[in-house]
Amino acid sequence: MATTATITLASDIMSGFSGISNTMTLTEAGTLTDLKETTGYSRKKLSSTSKVDLFTMADTNTTLGVDTSTGAKVFIKNIGYLGNEDKSVGVKVFINSVEIGLLYGGDWLMMPLATTDAEDVEVQPATDDAVVLEWVMFYQ
Amino acid sequence: MATTTAAVTLTSDLLSDALSVSTTTTCMKAGTTADGLDQMRMGRNEVPTGTSFDLLDATTAGIDKANKVYIANLSTDETYYVIVVIDAKVIGRLYGGDWMFIPWNMDDATHDLEVTAYVGTNTIEWVKFHENETLATQGD
Repeated sequence: MATTATITLASDIMSGFSGISNTMTLTEAGTLTDLKETTGYSRKKLSSTSKVDLFTMADTNTTLGVDTSTGAKVFIKNIGYLGNEDKSVGVKVFINSVEIGLLYGGDWLMMPLATTDAEDVEVQPATDDAVVLEWVMFYQ
Repeated sequence: MATTTAAVTLTSDLLSDALSVSTTTTCMKAGTTADGLDQMRMGRNEVPTGTSFDLLDATTAGIDKANKVYIANLSTDETYYVIVVIDAKVIGRLYGGDWMFIPWNMDDATHDLEVTAYVGTNTIEWVKFHENETLATQGD
């Protein structure tokens, strides 16, 4: 029961950069034991500049049994709308109101999550253009 | 135009219908559709345990500009980890063997990206693809 994530970075910005490829297996905190739980893959259409929760950690802790400060990882992608990954339409991603960054059309992120109480993962489109997000969290 | 791409393949057999997601994004300057990120920095650091360090300093010039940040914990001991913090907000723990890739938006000049190592000296590798950085004027 394994979950793996492989990143491949390529760039011609710097002549000496030959790229990076790295694979990680998602494991429980400080162990080689595979993460065993997931929220499942989700998607949602957003069409206003309202900030909404993707993961409400108080609820998650209660209903899904997420331990705090563990090996949780989250993947979020802005898939655009109706097949158009518009690089000018961004969605801000926050953890408890502290901005991480903007995901423009086609952009994705993968990062660890503290999953502590009230440290919600929030998203807020920068404009009211329709945009669809996909996301999944793996946790213990 | 400089071209930087970030691809990820995410696979999991936790669910009875196995998950497999592959996607690639081209990293563009903030809100643009035809102008790729054209600057980058990369590094490798030995991070001694117990002290918080600024890995990437936010700057006034960088406010609301596009940055993509990759961080990998190259420590071979799975119990080693760094806590990643943005603007005093804990994002999560990056254990030995883990990586993360995020958009990093400086919404103010205090939006530093910091790491603190635990258990032992952690080795991390990082790359920042970005725009709009000018060199500081020479000091004495």
